[in-house]
Amino acid sequence: MVADSKSAFIDQTVVPGDVVLDLSSMSNHTIKLGQGLRQDGDVISVMKAGKLRFSKPNKYWVESSNKRYVPCVEDTVLGIVVDQKADNFLVDIKGPTLAFLPVLAFEGGSRRNKPKFEVKLNRVFAFLKMGVSSSFTNKQGLECHRTENMVKSAGISSEKVLLLLFSECRFFPFSELNIIYFPSQVGKLLYVRVVKANADMNPELSCTDVNGKAAEFGPLKDGYMFESSTGLSRMLLSSPTCPVLEALGKKLSFEIAIGLNGRVWVNAEAPSTVILVSNAIMTSESLTGVQQRIMVEKLMQRVQ
Amino acid sequence: MEVDRVDGRTPNQLRPLTCSCNVLNRAHGSARWSQGDTILLAAVYGPKAGTRKNGNPEKASIEVIWKPKTGQIGKEEKEYEMILERTLQSICLLTVNPNTTTSIILQVVNDDGAVSFLENYVMFKMTYLTKKVQLLPSAINAASAALLDAGIPLKHLAVAISCGLEESGSVLLDPTKLEEQKMKAFAYLVFPNSVASILPEASLQVEGELLEHGMITSVTHGVMLVDSYLHCLERGRSASAKMSDFLRRSLQSRVPNDLPKTG
Repeated sequence: MVADSKSAFIDQTVVPGDVVLDLSSMSNHTIKLGQGLRQDGDVISVMKAGKLRFSKPNKYWVESSNKRYVPCVEDTVLGIVVDQKADNFLVDIKGPTLAFLPVLAFEGGSRRNKPKFEVKLNRVFAFLKMGVSSSFTNKQGLECHRTENMVKSAGISSEKVLLLLFSECRFFPFSELNIIYFPSQVGKLLYVRVVKANADMNPELSCTDVNGKAAEFGPLKDGYMFESSTGLSRMLLSSPTCPVLEALGKKLSFEIAIGLNGRVWVNAEAPSTVILVSNAIMTSESLTGVQQRIMVEKLMQRVQ
Repeated sequence: MEVDRVDGRTPNQLRPLTCSCNVLNRAHGSARWSQGDTILLAAVYGPKAGTRKNGNPEKASIEVIWKPKTGQIGKEEKEYEMILERTLQSICLLTVNPNTTTSIILQVVNDDGAVSFLENYVMFKMTYLTKKVQLLPSAINAASAALLDAGIPLKHLAVAISCGLEESGSVLLDPTKLEEQKMKAFAYLVFPNSVASILPEASLQVEGELLEHGMITSVTHGVMLVDSYLHCLERGRSASAKMSDFLRRSLQSRVPNDLPKTG
């Protein structure tokens, strides 16, 4: 009975609009729909392009590889702290909205020992060059009034500083306001777990596992993070171990954290190892298992 | 009535189609679509948090930016943006990601104006009032391929085709820019793609009519009889089935087929 009601499109490429199941013929069954499928009246139709997969007894989903992530409960992802509010950190996980990480969601977290993830916002160098005019040729007439501002989230905004300087320069004829803008790295990289993920709300994260222990979650120090697609992350996390990671692990020692949202963090003692591992992983996305092993062997030969 | 077309096509033959996806590194989804000499690049960014000003927070909002090949952005470009926005809003599932914005940027790479300078000058004199509207069908196809690449949830895809009506009354599919300028009237039609379904055809009905007989957008220029318009619709619909097949095949070649199954 179950075999009859399986979709004919399993393991085939489907396109949005394709109808894969007809519910009117299965009245007593429970079906679990994963990513990429929706119920449209009496039929199940496809929302995203990809391969239709089925897992016993009753799970259907569409497997596709995208650059953006759709938050799901119990996924482990790499997030970047963007801002801090009273009760939550705002974390970017490459999804449709920012995620909230409660300040207390750490092992032994209490109001007294709140973790501090400093968010360095953009640096603005602005200076007023005074007395600049084509008719002036004296070299001493140039004064530089220089202001350096590192902006904290609680402090004055960079726009107000710029407005201040601009208003100042109105009083000095023949002066220029030069603005140099340095966007700098924002926030800490965290390895977190998704606790709540509903379509209408911002997803909620946690830095502890189900039992409340830290268990590898939390900020990631040093190392290098790169972004790729969700399909690559799933391939790296598949079991048995992905061929590229296995081959690299035999010759090199490194630490790696893989987020299901397409972010991968690599750390090793020597920067050259980090570069090697990152490049190997990025190239392995479109290769088969055998090709991945060959690629890693060739890389090793060139290095040693 | 067999009409001789300049490039040797039959009246029902489309120009050669190519589609490449994921061509841009930074965009979340991108596609390069070409029909003959008309080439368009579409990039999709999103969904991103926050809706546009005066947007409905219970739905996702779609923003379209049209970048012409040359010249400044004017009223023409705004009109294309509006037509595209309405077409794409009807194919996207707006309630899946409420309070988000998806931006679609279309860049015209080539305009199918492959004529010599002298001809160009003469044409310019005669046709300075003609809009470059023949880009619209290719733009819709490029945008829907890019949305597919980005993984935005869609009800179905949009397939666009242009039909022209000659002085003699015969209908030509997918006219080039030159052919279009000599035509009495033309129509740009956008249909939903043909779906692969396990249900028998008869049950895929929406309000008594087959889903595939629906139409998303129709933009017409010039004067034509109602019968000619219905004739265009028929021809356009059969051609859209061919284009749907093309999209499906191009998608199949991209998905790698021996990745280990992840549970």
